[in-house]
This record gives sequence, structure tokens and C-alpha cells, in this order.
Amino acid sequence: MSIPPALEAHGLRKVYRSLFRRQGQVALEGLGLTVPQGTAFGLIGPNGAGKTTFIKLLLGVVRPTAGGVRVLGGDPEDVRVRARIGYLPERLHLPASWTPPQFLASVARLKGLPAEPRALHPLIERVGIGDAMHRRIGGFSKGMRQRLGLAAALLGKPDFLILDEPTDGIDPLGRVEVRKLLAEELARGATLFLNSHLLAETERICDRIGILSGGKLVREGTLEELRTVQQRWHLRFAPGADAAALLAAGLAPAGEGLWRCDADNPEGLNAALDRARQKGALVVEITREVRDLEAVLADAMGVAA
Amino acid sequence: MRTVWAVAMDLLREAASRKWFLGLAIALTLGLGTLGLSLKMEVVDGALAATRLFGKAMAGNIMAVDVFLRPLFRAAAYVSFYGGLVFGIIACSDFAPSLLSPGRIEHLLSLPVKRWQLLAGTFLGVLLLAVMAAVYGAGGLTLIFGIKSGVWTWGPLIAALLAAVTFAALYAAMLTSALFARNAAVSAAVGFAFFIAGILAGYRTSLTPMLEEGLSRSAFRGVTLLLPRVSALADAGADIAASAPLEVHSLVSLLAGVFIFGLGLLALGAWRFEQRDF
Repeated sequence: MSIPPALEAHGLRKVYRSLFRRQGQVALEGLGLTVPQGTAFGLIGPNGAGKTTFIKLLLGVVRPTAGGVRVLGGDPEDVRVRARIGYLPERLHLPASWTPPQFLASVARLKGLPAEPRALHPLIERVGIGDAMHRRIGGFSKGMRQRLGLAAALLGKPDFLILDEPTDGIDPLGRVEVRKLLAEELARGATLFLNSHLLAETERICDRIGILSGGKLVREGTLEELRTVQQRWHLRFAPGADAAALLAAGLAPAGEGLWRCDADNPEGLNAALDRARQKGALVVEITREVRDLEAVLADAMGVAA
Repeated sequence: MRTVWAVAMDLLREAASRKWFLGLAIALTLGLGTLGLSLKMEVVDGALAATRLFGKAMAGNIMAVDVFLRPLFRAAAYVSFYGGLVFGIIACSDFAPSLLSPGRIEHLLSLPVKRWQLLAGTFLGVLLLAVMAAVYGAGGLTLIFGIKSGVWTWGPLIAALLAAVTFAALYAAMLTSALFARNAAVSAAVGFAFFIAGILAGYRTSLTPMLEEGLSRSAFRGVTLLLPRVSALADAGADIAASAPLEVHSLVSLLAGVFIFGLGLLALGAWRFEQRDF
């Protein structure tokens, strides 16, 4: 029997309607996405792109206006499916007067897991707040709260981890710890769905990335695919190359003695090179342009606009 | 049922850390302790020979001790009924809005918990809280007077439980209102509105002739028909506490009315909860 994807969305549309607004606000528009189990998927996009709405749809917290979503092969509202999900919301509300073991025991009870506070101590240690084991949550910093929320998401070793801004408020060293922890979860076989504004984090953790803008998934693929979605090379020629001939060959100056070649495939690149060499230009260096995620996102936003 | 119970227990744990409930527990304990230590009753053959409060003799003729206790229990029943409802409405108004607050409700709904279980657990938790306060306060009072006078009665305890049941009906309205507008002030306002309307509903028979015949009278009769008879239940509780014959005709029908009112509103709340996005 084949393993169902961790997440499968098709034609997902969500419109928030209110009593006083007839039109409603479109949060998602025909979104389709498949995330295989055991992978790390990152969702990025500007504020208001629909990322949080999409996550809420995955959890059955909001219902789609049209289309459908299946999580771990089942309905997200099915409690058996939700028992296999660990979720960290962007702003987790925590009871101020409780201690971390008390909070985790409460979550464990609702998950149907053993809720003996002592049994939860290793998990609290694992997320790096062992020193605050008996302190009230009300006195916690934002980063400590985030770590406790992460511990709650990790309770019961879920198959699917949905994390909304997991490193928000955590210091740089703490982020490294969280990345290590998430890598351990991935190694265990869990699927990771990450929503983060921190592009560098997403880049480091995820092997597939989706860019959401205006409620639509405008780009989706591996990091490599996204970085090279439009093929661009930088070329350097031996001194003496005729600039007019290079321009005629379809190349463009890129500054500092470099020339740029935009081509859809290697054949296009080589054709441009052949034209330049026929005019006597000698190639001494070819570099493929690799953009960072920030550039990819900026480019995608341009596409979306 | 285990999940409903877990939600209810979490609510009790949360209540235990709230100043309102700590204050209530301290006030009840201090009140009962002060009464227990300062009140002395000398009972001879079922008659109250002397009563001292803070060492000072209280004037009065010798009378049967149970006769002496009746007005005390009646007054205590009224105070605990109306005082308890007002306190409950204020102190519990934040539970449902807090449960539905951003960052909490998404997390709760991501767990293997059904929406109706969250609603039922919250209601059960508040009901348990009301019953615990009623048993602690009225039970303590019964215990103190029982030990000092030798008269043991279930009356005050039953009266306090009637107050708890009435509060549960009002809380059903507060809980449901929170699912339409997540705001503690709105929740409290709805509780007070039904509290006052319920007092009027309890006296609907005597109030109806005061209204002009026609639409206003019919509207009053129609609206009050659906409401819990808060004042009638308070009177019934006071009668039971004082071991007096019930003036209200049917306690069972009053309780049935409260039950139907509460259940109807909870059903509306459950429907709204199922429909709503968070």
C-alpha cells in the first residue's frame, strides 16, 4: 500500500465573510499543493499572503469555501488524524500561573497521552528550558514561551509537525538548537511544514519551498529549482573582445568586466557562446547565477503583482 | 467523556489560580471560621437557652432551636443565591472568551479534541466550580450550626445547589454569547440580562396584570415563558433552607424549565461553535 502524502490540497479557496461585508475577503484562491511524508516543506510569503489561513485549513480550524485538503491521508477534522499532528501557533497563549510540566500535562491529557509531569521533564530539557522547569510561565521570555510551545508540538512524537514561526523570539544560538532539534525530528521520519518570515531559516531547514502571494501559490519546488527558475549565466571574456559583437550575440554587460546571458536551457547558452566566439571572443570564465531565497521571493512577488 | 473531563479539570486548575476564586475561598473560610469561633449556643432539651456572638449575649426569649435557625437559614439561602449568582456572573465571564482567544483556540482545535467536547468541558468545569462553592459554603454553615445546636438539616445545602443549577443555566447563555462575540464584558452583560429577566420571570404571574392588555402583556408573557424563573427558585431555595412548606407550586417544573433553557442555549452554542472559523 502506498504511503499517502502528508498534505494534499487541491483547488483550495477560502473567503472570509462578515455580516456587514457582502463581498468577503479572499484569503486563498485555488491553492493546490502536495507534500510527501518525511520531507521538510517551507511556506514563505509576505504578510497577508494567506499562510496562516492555509495552516488553519490543514488543522480544520477554518473550513474551506471550495476545494479540499487531506492531511496524512485523512480529513483534518478527524481526531485520529489530529492525534498525529504537532502544531505550534504563531502566538501560543499559555496559562501564566502554570509551570511547564503542568502545561504539557494538560496538552498530553487532551492528546490522550500519559500525563505524568515527571515523564515530561526530558522533553522540557530537550527544548532547552530545563532550568525553568518549576517556574511559572507568566515570567517566561518570548523565546522561552516559544520553546515550550515547541515542546507541546513535539509531545507524542507526531508524524506531521506544523510550525508557524518556530524560531520567532529565540536568540541566534537558540535557533541553532531548534534547527538541530527539527533535523532530529526529520531523521525520525516526521514531516515538517514550516511557516517562517526568516528566509535563512527556511533555506537551512527545508528541502522544498512554496511561495504564497495574494492567496496563490506562485512558486513551488526544491530550493535549487527556485533559485534557478530563470537560467542566468555570468561570462568573462579574454581582453580584447569586441563589445558590439558581444551585444549582437545576445549578451548584456553585467559590470566589472562581466557579461550576462539569459537562456532557458544549456542549448541557448551555447548558441550565444558560439555567436560570440565566431566574432573572436574567447571565454575564460562561466558562472551560473544562484540567487538566495530573498531574491527568489522578490522575483516571485513581481510575478504575483 | 475523558476529554470533556480533562477540559473541565483544566478549567478548575485555571480557576484555582484566579484572584476571584482565591478571594471567594478565603472569604468563605474566614466567614465560616469567624462564625464557628465566635458563636456559642446553649441548647437544653431542644430549646435555645442562650446565644452569644463574640461573647456578647444576644437578646431573645427561650425558643425551640430549629425555630431560631429558620430565619437564619432563610437569610443565608437568599444571600448565597443572589450573591452567588452575581459573583458567578462576574467571576466566570472571562472563561469562555479566554478559551476562544487567538493563540489558544487554534492550539486546542489542533489537538484530537472535538469542538463540542471543548464546549461541554468548559460548561462542566463552571458547573463543578459552582457546585464546589455551594457545597463548601452551605456545607460549612450546616456543619457549624449542626455542631453548635444539634440540629442537622440538608436544607441550606439543597438551597445552595439550587443556586448552582440556576447559575449553570445563566452560564449556558454566557458561554453561547461568547461564541457570537468573544468579549468578557458582553458575556457578563448577557449573564446579568438573563439574571434580571429571570427575576421578573419568577414573578410573571403577579407582574402580568400590571401591564396593559394587548401586545405588551402578551409579549411579556411570551418572553418570560422561555426564561428560567430565577426569583421563584430563590424563594424555593429559601423555603427549603428554612424547612418551610414550598410556596412555589412545582419545584420539578421550575428545574425542568432551567434544564430546557440551559440545554437549548448550549445546543445553539454548539451549533455556532461548529460553524465558526477561528
